Parts: sequence; C-alpha cells; structure tokens
Amino acid sequence: MGAAPQQVSPDQRVADFRKIFSRAESEVARVIVGHREVVRKLLTALFCGGHILIEGVPGLGKTLMVKAASETLGLSFKRIQFTPDLMPSDIIGTQVLTESDGLREFQFKPGPIFAHMVLGDEINRATPKTQSAVLEAMEEHQVTVFGTTYVLDPPYIVLATQNPIELEGTYPLPEAQMDRFIFKVVMGSPKPDELREILNRTTGTAQNKIQPLFEPASAPQAIEELKALVREVMVAEPLERYIISVIGGCTPGGPGAIPEVSQYLRFGPSPRGAQALILCSKVNALLAGRVSVSYDDIDDAIVPCLRHRLLLNFQAEAESVSSESILEQVIKRLKKPRT
Amino acid sequence: MRVMLCAVAPALTAIALGLLLEPIGDLTWARYGYSLAPDRAALLSLALVGAGLVVLAAGLVIAFRAYRRANDFVAAAAELDDLLECNQEIVTFATLANPSALESGRARRTPLFPVLWRRAIALFGGLDVRREFRLEVGAPLRRSSIFAGVVALAMLFATLGLVRAPTPESREAARLRAIAQEIAKTATSSDDTALAGKIRAAADALENSRLPPEEKKKRIEDAMKQADKAAEKRNNSQSGKDQGTGKSSAQSGNGSGKSQGQGNSSGTGSGEGKSGTGAGQNAGGNNPGSGKGGTGNNSGKNNGGNGTAKNDKNDQNKSDPSNIKLQNELAKAEAQVETANAKNPGPDNQPGDDKNQGGANKPGDKPDQKSGSQPDPNRPGDLPKPGANGDRNIPAAGGNPKNNKDMGSNLGDTHLGEMPTSTNAQRFLKPGEKGSTVDIKDARYVMFRLPGAPIAGSGGKTVLDTDRPKATTAYVNAPLAPTSDDAPPDERQLVPPRYRDMIH
Repeated sequence: MGAAPQQVSPDQRVADFRKIFSRAESEVARVIVGHREVVRKLLTALFCGGHILIEGVPGLGKTLMVKAASETLGLSFKRIQFTPDLMPSDIIGTQVLTESDGLREFQFKPGPIFAHMVLGDEINRATPKTQSAVLEAMEEHQVTVFGTTYVLDPPYIVLATQNPIELEGTYPLPEAQMDRFIFKVVMGSPKPDELREILNRTTGTAQNKIQPLFEPASAPQAIEELKALVREVMVAEPLERYIISVIGGCTPGGPGAIPEVSQYLRFGPSPRGAQALILCSKVNALLAGRVSVSYDDIDDAIVPCLRHRLLLNFQAEAESVSSESILEQVIKRLKKPRT
Repeated sequence: MRVMLCAVAPALTAIALGLLLEPIGDLTWARYGYSLAPDRAALLSLALVGAGLVVLAAGLVIAFRAYRRANDFVAAAAELDDLLECNQEIVTFATLANPSALESGRARRTPLFPVLWRRAIALFGGLDVRREFRLEVGAPLRRSSIFAGVVALAMLFATLGLVRAPTPESREAARLRAIAQEIAKTATSSDDTALAGKIRAAADALENSRLPPEEKKKRIEDAMKQADKAAEKRNNSQSGKDQGTGKSSAQSGNGSGKSQGQGNSSGTGSGEGKSGTGAGQNAGGNNPGSGKGGTGNNSGKNNGGNGTAKNDKNDQNKSDPSNIKLQNELAKAEAQVETANAKNPGPDNQPGDDKNQGGANKPGDKPDQKSGSQPDPNRPGDLPKPGANGDRNIPAAGGNPKNNKDMGSNLGDTHLGEMPTSTNAQRFLKPGEKGSTVDIKDARYVMFRLPGAPIAGSGGKTVLDTDRPKATTAYVNAPLAPTSDDAPPDERQLVPPRYRDMIH
C-alpha cells in the first residue's frame, strides 16, 4: 500500500489516496462511533500538514480517536495532559546529566512532543509560556533546547483539545495561536443510536482491533508522499480569486465585506486562512476523485478553516452571533468569478 | 443572440409606436374627435423612440459582451463547465492550457495535469455542440413579445392619459392644416406651395401656447396676405383668358352699386363702397361685406370697399369657394387668438403691472358701445379684410392694455362712470386711532402701504414686569443639609455564609 509511488501512474496515485483515506476512516470508525466528520477533518489536517483544534466536552472520545488514527496509520502517538503547572521542559524535553565511561555529560531527553501525532489535552489549561512552547514546535516543526535544535520527524500533527466549559483558571489560546491550527472542529454529543452502539462496544467483551494501514517503518514516508500528492492538485485562477474574495469578504473593511462582517467582527482571517482553504479544498477534490479544485470543495472547507480565525466583537457576543453564521452569509452572498 | 432576440421586439415596438404616434393622433382626431396634446405627444413620441433605442443599444452591448466572452478562452470554458457540470475541471484545464498564457500555464502544471487532460477530453467527448448550443428562437421571442406587449400597454395608458378634448384653437388649426394639405395637393405654382406653407405655419402658431398672440396674429395675417397674393395671380391669369376670348361680357359692366355694409355690431357704421369702374372688371355692387360697420373706435367711418382694386379683388376672391373657405378659417383663427388673448391675459397684463393702464374702465368711456354682437366669422360678409381694418373689427377685450391702449376704455363696466377719488387722508394712523371709514364700495383695487418696522437700537427702555407670577413659598438656593450615615437601615438582610469572611 505504501509502495513508492514514483513508478505508479498519477491516476493510480489518486486512486490510492482515496482508498487509504476511506480505509483509515473505516478503521477509526471501528472504535469511534459517529463523529465521521471529525475523523475526516483529522485525516484531512494530517494530509494537509496542519494541526487541528478539537473542542468538546470531556468523555466524547477525543483521545481515543487520535490514538485510533495514529494506530491506523502506523504513526507514533504521545499524549500531553496540560495543567497550569506544566513547564515547557516537560513537553519539549530537557538535558539530564548522565554518566558513561566515567564521564559525566548532559544528554537531551526528548519530551512527549517528539512523536508523529501529539494530543494536547485541554491545552487551554496550560500557562501561555507552555502553550507557546508547543505552538512554536507546531509551526517550526523543530525545538531548540540549550542552543541545540532538534527537528521533529515528519509527518507531525498536533491535535489539541479544548473544553468549552469550566473556563475558570484556564488560559484561552490567543488569536495568533489559534490561527496556527488549520481546523477547529467541534465534537458534539453522540446521537441516541450512536450512544447505544458506544455502550455495546465498550461494556461488552467484544474488542475491536484496528488493522494498521502502514508498517511503522514505512508509514512516515507513505504519509509524506500522500501529502505531496495533495499539493499537486491544481487550482484554476478564478477559484484562487474566489478564495481571495472569501478572505476579503470576511475581513471588516475588506474588499467585498458584507455588512454583517463589518458589524460583528473585529478582525478577519489571515493569509494562513487562505492557505488552509486551498489545502483543504485540494484534499476534498482528491476525495471526490478529481485532480482540480471546484467551488464546492472550497465552500465545504470555509467553515472549518475560518471559523476560529474570525474575531467576534462585543456586539456579536451580546447578540449570540456565531462566526459560523457569518461565514454562511459570506458563502451565500459572494459571487463565483467566471474568468 | 438570445439577448438580442429578447430586446429586439420591445425595442422595435417602442420605436414604431413612437414614430406612429402622430398618425395615431390624427386618427383619433378624425374618428373620435379627440387629439393628443401636441407638445406632450411629441414628448411621448421622443420618449418611446428614445427608450426603444436605449433597449436596442443595451441589447447590442450585452450581445457584444457575450461575443467577447465567447471569444475569451477561459470564459468559454466556464460556459462549458456550467453546461456539462464538470466541477470546474474544464476551467482549470483551460487556465493551464490557455494559448494566450501558455508559459504561465505550463509553469503551474503538476504531474497530475495529464489526468486532468484526459478527464477534460472525456468530458468534451460527450458534448454535442449542435445540441447544447442550439439557437432557440421561440422562447426568447415569446419572452420578448411579452415585453413588447407591456410596452404597447404602457404606451396605450400614456396615450389615454394624454388625450385631451381639442381646444377651439386646435380645431381651427386642424381645419387650416386640412386646407393647406388640399392646396399643397393641387398646387400648380410656387405661390400655392408657399401659401400651403404659410397656412401650416399659421396653424402651428395657433396651437403653440408659448407664442405670444401678436406673433400668432402676424402669422395668420401672413397667410392671409399670401392667400390674397395667390388668388390675385390666379385671377389675373383667368381674366387674361376671358378677355382674350371675349366672354367676359356677362361679368363686365359699370359697377356703380353702393355698398352699404351693415356689420353685426350695433355701431352705426355705414360706408360707401366706391365700386370699381374699371374696364370690364367685375364691379363689387353686391359686396355685402365691404362696408362693414366700424367699431366704436371707427366712429362710424367706413373703411371698407374703398377702392376699385380691392373690391374687384374681393369679389373675385369670393368667386373661388376654396379661397372663401380659407379666408373664413383664417379669420376664425384670428378671432380665436383674440378671444384666447382676452381670456388669458399674459403676465404683463396683470393689473398690478401697469397701474395706469389697468383693465378697469375709465370715466367717460362708453361701456355699452361694444355690447352688441361680435362679427360672426362664419358669415362671408363679415370677413375682416386683410390689409384693411379688419382686425379692428374684431372686438378686443380689455385684457391687454398695452396693445389696445385706445380700446381699453371700451371694455368692462363702470359704476355709472364714477370712480372713487382719493382724498388727502392721513396715510398712517397712530396707535389707538381708528381713523375715518374708507369708502371702498365699488372699488376694484385697494392699495395699502404698511409702515416699516421700527429701527431697533437707540431708543430702548427697560420696563419691569410686575405682573409675572410669584412664588408663594419662600425658598433659598442653599445646599441641603448632609444626611446622617448613622441612620439605621430600613431593613436588614443576612450576609450569605461565603461572604461573611470578606465583609468586616
């Protein structure tokens, strides 16, 4: 499955991508009931080379889902439970004094951030200092300890979770740091049927084993090749202009901004938002069996890619206007360029 | 093309209706006796033609843009994409294979481009251009006919709104135009053509409410003169013929008849018509109109029929029924102008404009002098003579004192010829004085002059207002005494246990 794709035809590469993606979805679905959209976005973020912020109340299976995804893809997985007293060195790693052959020396002991898939549970409970350490690693894909830089092995994805309740004593992520996540997905409570299925699976004797798609040794390279395939998907100029107009339309005072944007937003999305839109649209196109992006692919990506990049003002919060509703208005009102 | 088809029918309908508005107006005039107000009809016609042209121009612009879009590689691809529902695959392919930007397109191609190429070719394979891009004429024409119907309906309502019962002037103008048309149709000389033109100009002037009455009268008189001129020429050629053949005996003779004109007016005008004694010319012994009674201004003098040539001419003119009719109509037109002028005095004829020349009668005038009937323009004998004093035979109202300075006294009524005379009364009364009663009975205008406002400034005087309401309760602007903080509260509440430690 993870064979070198250089020899295979482009058609085959596209077909393989779709196959791997759908198999990964179904493997994760063995242990996670429902939340298919969240799983899809998790895998999309992985193939886009981005990170994902998951928001949901405790007990929904966030950790289990990430663990299942890493197991499916044959990637290493680490989990960090963020607490207020967590220090950056606890995450990144530190120098420890070791003795070998009568010589004492400092040796770097990597922290939990050194893994392919890192789950940062309740990231908003850590202090800004610790959050910054993680976010720097997310962006640079490297960490520097005592002047030495350590590169994080690709593929690298951080899945941070946030608890929307019990906000006392937390440190909400600043907007600049929220911008580094390609998606923000919201996990809702399971439906009654799904809950019944969860109970059946978890309280009985049956065990659902996940079958890995890749061997741990070849998995990183296979994933990297699929990530390269995503970037090969083509985007026509009119569609690029559409993405630009979406970003402009969501920016207060920007070109083509709708009245709701000017009324309810303080800031709009950054260029990172446009990058996220294009990458996510490309994955959507590949999943549809196409090698070029369509307007529908872009529209599907707008809400998960931009919802956490819009900074609502006080009026919006007072009137309970959500960023999702504003984005839907933008999608409705923007015209698709024809040339 | 479809856009043009949609636009063409309403545009052409509007233009056609705009151009045909005048004939339509003529038709309504001829059949139903109603006419379109000429200025509004012209405006509507212009608006319809303009709207039609605008629609046509808009259709052309849209068609041109569609043509340009069809020539644009990527835009045409977008059209195809929409048609085949290809999720922008053809657009992407066109962007990367655009011949006008081949280099940049090549630079943007990825290893997946062959896949896109094959997919685009496969999509094109299923495209039947003749079927997909068939020119459908029916639907656009149906749509366009609806628009055309709307335009026609709008025009109908606009026309109904503009239709007016014709004014006497417009009736007269229409009759004059008909005569002009007849003359132009049977014109044998340039004089006839010129006459037709003059008559048309007179008709236009008659209908044109913006023209001053003098101008209208001038044009009518021009037409009359031209009619005389044309008739004279015609008669000269006719008499030459008669003399040549010796058949003029029946018409020759010594005309010595007295012409006693009796006008419709009650004036005492009696005239002696000195009919011609010219050689073989038809004397005007039976010219009933040549000696019309003069108006009051004429003082009984008869100005008519004093001259051989004139009587001859008039007699000969009357021998031509069409000329009589024309003269009749022109005279009527002139009368209409006079009547209209009397009814609608112009702004310069307002009573306040020229106080010394108002329409009121002056003492000494004879108000009943012209109370008799006015000349009936339908009677041939009452025709005012062009060039003579025919215009003076038409009664003029006192509405235009500038033009009829010497006739103003003939009009209106007075109260036994007396007008109130002013006295040297004190013009402004002092405060408290009432003055003597001003007798304004029978006065038409009373003029007042209001005193100007006193000049403020130097002579002011302060007056105390002792009548103003006063407060019955004594008050002072002193601050209130501070309230005591030690006062017991109105009620007491238990502090919740969790706050007890915080409150000392």
